[in-house]
Amino acid sequence: MTAELSSPDPASAAPPAVLRRGSSSGGGGLGRYVLVRFLLIIPTVFILVTLVFLLMRTTGDPITAALGGKLTGPQLQERIHEAGYDRPLIVQYLEYLGNIFTGNFGNTLSDNRPVTQVLLTYGGATLELAFYALIVAFIVGIPLGMVAAYFRDRTPDAFLRIFAILCYATPVFFAGLLLKLVFAVWFQILPVAGRASTGAELQMQFLQSKTGIYLIDAIQTGNPDVIGDVLSHAVLPGVALGLLTAGVFLRLVRTNLIGTLGTDYVDSARSRGVTEFRLVRKHAYRPALIPIITVIGLQIALLLGGAVLTETTFEWKGLGFQLAQYLQARDFVAVQGIVALLAVIVAVTNFIVDIIAALIDPRVRY
Amino acid sequence: MTDTTARPRPRRSLATRIPLFAQVRSSIGLQRGMLVAGLVITGVFVITAIFAPLLAPYGFAQLRADGTPFGAQEAPNAEHLLGTTVGGYDVLSRVIWGAQTAILTIVVSVILSIFAGIFLGLVSGYIGGWLDRVLVVVCDAIYAFPSLLLAIVMSIVISGGQSNLFGGILAASISITVVFIPQYFRVIRAETVRIKSEAYVESAKVIGTRAPRIVFRHVLRNATRSLPLLLTLNSSEALLTLAGLGFLGFGIEPSAAAEWGYDLNKSLSDVTSGIWWTSLFPGLAIVLAVLGITLLGESLNDLADPRLRGRRAALDTGAPAPDNGAAPHGSAASGQAVVADDRATTNDEERVS
Amino acid sequence: MRSASTRTTRLVASLAGTAAVALVLAGCAGGSNGGSAGGKAITIGTTDKVTVLDPAGSYDNGSFAVMNQVFPFLMNTPYGSPDVKPDIAESADFTGPTEYTVKLKSGLKFANGNDLTSSDVKFSFDRQLKINDENGPASLLYNLDSVAAPDDTTVVFTLKSADDQVFPQILSSPAGPIVDEDVFSATELTSDEDIVKGKAFAGQYEIASYDFNNLISYKAFAGYDGVLGKAKTDQVNVKYYADSSNLKLDIQEGNIDVAFRSLSATDIDDLKGNDKVKVVDGPGGEIRYIVFNFDTQPFGAKTPEADPAKALAVRQAVADLIDRDEIAKQVYKDTYTPLYSYVPAGLTGATESLKAPYGDGNGGPDADKAKSTLAAAGITGPVELSLQYSNDHYGPSSGDEYALIKDQLESSGLFTVNLQTTEWVQYSKDRTTDVYPSYQLGWFPDYSDADNYLTPFFLTENFLANHYDNPAVNDLILKQAVTTDPAARTALIEQIQDAVAADLSTVPYLQGAQVAVTGTTVEGTKDTLDASFKFRYGALTKG
Repeated sequence: MTAELSSPDPASAAPPAVLRRGSSSGGGGLGRYVLVRFLLIIPTVFILVTLVFLLMRTTGDPITAALGGKLTGPQLQERIHEAGYDRPLIVQYLEYLGNIFTGNFGNTLSDNRPVTQVLLTYGGATLELAFYALIVAFIVGIPLGMVAAYFRDRTPDAFLRIFAILCYATPVFFAGLLLKLVFAVWFQILPVAGRASTGAELQMQFLQSKTGIYLIDAIQTGNPDVIGDVLSHAVLPGVALGLLTAGVFLRLVRTNLIGTLGTDYVDSARSRGVTEFRLVRKHAYRPALIPIITVIGLQIALLLGGAVLTETTFEWKGLGFQLAQYLQARDFVAVQGIVALLAVIVAVTNFIVDIIAALIDPRVRY
Repeated sequence: MTDTTARPRPRRSLATRIPLFAQVRSSIGLQRGMLVAGLVITGVFVITAIFAPLLAPYGFAQLRADGTPFGAQEAPNAEHLLGTTVGGYDVLSRVIWGAQTAILTIVVSVILSIFAGIFLGLVSGYIGGWLDRVLVVVCDAIYAFPSLLLAIVMSIVISGGQSNLFGGILAASISITVVFIPQYFRVIRAETVRIKSEAYVESAKVIGTRAPRIVFRHVLRNATRSLPLLLTLNSSEALLTLAGLGFLGFGIEPSAAAEWGYDLNKSLSDVTSGIWWTSLFPGLAIVLAVLGITLLGESLNDLADPRLRGRRAALDTGAPAPDNGAAPHGSAASGQAVVADDRATTNDEERVS
Repeated sequence: MRSASTRTTRLVASLAGTAAVALVLAGCAGGSNGGSAGGKAITIGTTDKVTVLDPAGSYDNGSFAVMNQVFPFLMNTPYGSPDVKPDIAESADFTGPTEYTVKLKSGLKFANGNDLTSSDVKFSFDRQLKINDENGPASLLYNLDSVAAPDDTTVVFTLKSADDQVFPQILSSPAGPIVDEDVFSATELTSDEDIVKGKAFAGQYEIASYDFNNLISYKAFAGYDGVLGKAKTDQVNVKYYADSSNLKLDIQEGNIDVAFRSLSATDIDDLKGNDKVKVVDGPGGEIRYIVFNFDTQPFGAKTPEADPAKALAVRQAVADLIDRDEIAKQVYKDTYTPLYSYVPAGLTGATESLKAPYGDGNGGPDADKAKSTLAAAGITGPVELSLQYSNDHYGPSSGDEYALIKDQLESSGLFTVNLQTTEWVQYSKDRTTDVYPSYQLGWFPDYSDADNYLTPFFLTENFLANHYDNPAVNDLILKQAVTTDPAARTALIEQIQDAVAADLSTVPYLQGAQVAVTGTTVEGTKDTLDASFKFRYGALTKG
């Protein structure tokens, strides 16, 4: 039984021995595995939501945050009492759980908007940014990782590895600033920040079926200028966030290729006289792809989880950025709603990744 | 699985027992270059931090010398080699003192996460049962959450809004600790579960030796392969989170300590006004410090992993075959093993986005 | 580079053109083809944040800035003046000691075609009191007992206390916007979407499209007939920024026409030297001051060595030592100006009560004077002073501001300052519970009257809760509020400032200027940067 839970996702930091042991001792079929993994989503989400609920209550209340500079102490107390924030925690907690179970996420406290609407609006923006970032990460990370593996331990490999580390070591707000200076101020070929220029946004405002995902909205307008405008706004944030992920992919592809290049399967191909380049491209690439897929799945979850710094640097009003704002306003309801959504996204993505991994390699099932 | 267990003990000379020296010796070519570069950068970083009071020309919160104010946003000159900030501080001094704040945060967070993570991992893995399951699920839940956001919440909770030096450092390091405990936990717990059922533990139980002690010893010995990487990741992550918190305005105040992220945040508007020196240096300091630590970690990881160690290097040192058959040969499984390390990397890289 | 930039310009121009077409197609008769009052569309950028559009549910600057464009007021401040005049009303007068009667202009309409009558006015104030939202401004209506609407154009306010000279000002405050009773709910907040969809607007502008905290597009409302006159520009777009450095880059690159609130001091200083933009400033209502807690400050009433005379000497020494010019120049690059009294310059009744008695008598600091003040009170050795500030509520420069104040106090050798900062929510709780012996606060007025800088602070029961209690000051403040003769009232206000300056309940030191940065072809900015502290888009034109 312990083995069953030893690592809910197969690509975790558990050493391989556990995987082997798990595979030999595991009994149930795929169906049981899927079910257990699915049920695990519930406690994961529940724990995060509870954690956030408790943490938020210890940090103060939204009324003091908004009006502490305007009202006297007793006036604040009176309003806090009316809003019910001074009731016992357990009462508030049960009420909150009750609301969630009835599907009522409530209205945000600081700006009185339905939480579901907040999630839809900003979730779309975050999704879009994650999409651009992944494209950049794929285009940059995977080919360069193959190149690095091919030139293993030679000069190109050194440069590429340093490049990957720099992608990670440079805080995104610093990189963002430099990108803006170069492309928006010196060369003036890209906009400074935001998701579209005023004119384009106005045009998209009047669409009947607004999605909140600007690229789709822009295509709907059918105006090439608008599409171009939206895309040009996506370049810098996409690159800034994408490079961060590209560094991960580069390293991952390189490591895994080198790993598979040393296996019996590739060795035998090599002994048949297959060229080293072809080895990288054909033989080693395929097996290496499997772990890469699982990591990409996780990356998507984390990208959706809110790239706070990127969103703040580039005025990209998405979930992460908005969550930081609501935190500052102590908007319990909004924060809990966004956290719940993030938790669900991450848990479900993990679940899907695990299932895919189990389908590809039966040994991970246990 | 690790060099420690594989290499026969008595043959180790004194030199090889000095930490890192053995690794430098066993490395070759590019890998040695990376390792040495990482060591040098990290060394400079640590030395700067330790000797900050001697190296820095002024205090981190000093605004005037001999009664005359420094002035704000002064360009680099003889008195202020790197100029002054918008608040009128000396940039060079703040960059140097900032190393101290960074190191303190790293040390506190690494110590806290290691102890808590190892303890929880051992307990969870050894005792098993429902306690194990609860801990695993809790750790997974926290692990899955974007760390910077968690850090923001934690920093508000922990410091109670205060921001003196130790409040700030504790807030940053505890919030990073919370995120890193699950990672140590995973490594240690998996190792514990594996070793618990190994034959030698079983036999130790039979002859009456206390099993927990044996498990503890073996777990730590075997975990040394993955711990260095995790440790350096933890360090660079601590630094980046501290900077991120400072950048978002949840960090340490300037009169309490020098902090690079805070200085970067304050200098944002300087850059667009052509004042480059206030942001460039703290920014470079962050990049270099993280670069050094990461280089160090990656090189150590490569050297500890026979598959990644340079081919010739592996031959030269007579790289040991993986012990107790832990290293798999199947291609997919080996992929899993590799991804295991990189997954930790992956997560953290994304964390401060 | 050149061609790239012209390409961008062309793209922007073509987008603006298509956007205008879209507006017309969408049925919002813009007609902005340079004909009538027209003018080119203006894009304004700001870092303000809107919370809710409903006047009953928000009490913050960002939301009030929107309300000022789209909702009518009974009383409002005309361009260039701090004093209120009837806005959509013909007249407004006291018809009895506790009876304030407002006559509306006839034939007023909302943008949706509904009539704007006294019944809407009564509805607006009744719902403020009824909803009493926890984030709302209902507390400003503390003196309002009831509202009556005897006929379609007459509104009678019954007040709790007589001859309230502040009440007309309150009608221009965040509690005063008039809303449509057919669109708004009487018992709960109405959502932004319903307000925009219901076109419940009757100010200079109506909202044509609304993308929350991202982009609001306004178009002039033809039916507005109030004291401000018709809007000079038909279409105004407001872009909301999260980060002021992006706002700065956009105004610098000409992507927007106006940047208003808030650029950093460095940005403004830099833009002043840029001939592609104009930096325009006007008086600001925002003030910064240090509060002393009379119980817990050094030698305060609840400390072991309590001594009122010594406590006063400590406050006086701080007032002697603080170098306002240096703070304004170094930290704020003169976007803030030194403040020497409690009522900021520009308002009726403002003095410079702290200038002569403290420092060198000319506004500068004087360490010798501080030294002799302390010595005269029998204080020897440096005074230990705990000073607290909020790092996240009063803008990004508070840290630098207070580091400098600490430095000014300490470099005299008379003080040892223990400077601490606290995040805003905790700060708000702590400051009223005697945790901080001395601390930073700022104030942004609800209405442009000296009263709003005196009543909240220096009555015995006050917002500061710092245990300052001077019955004479208390009585004077209550008296000025009901003094009907303007000259006599002004004299009282001046007297109050002198009296508080002698006690030093707080030490005011900075007054914020309103600064807008505009493209070179934008005119009219100066007209609206006045002591009403309301930025009206209707005053702007673009050539």
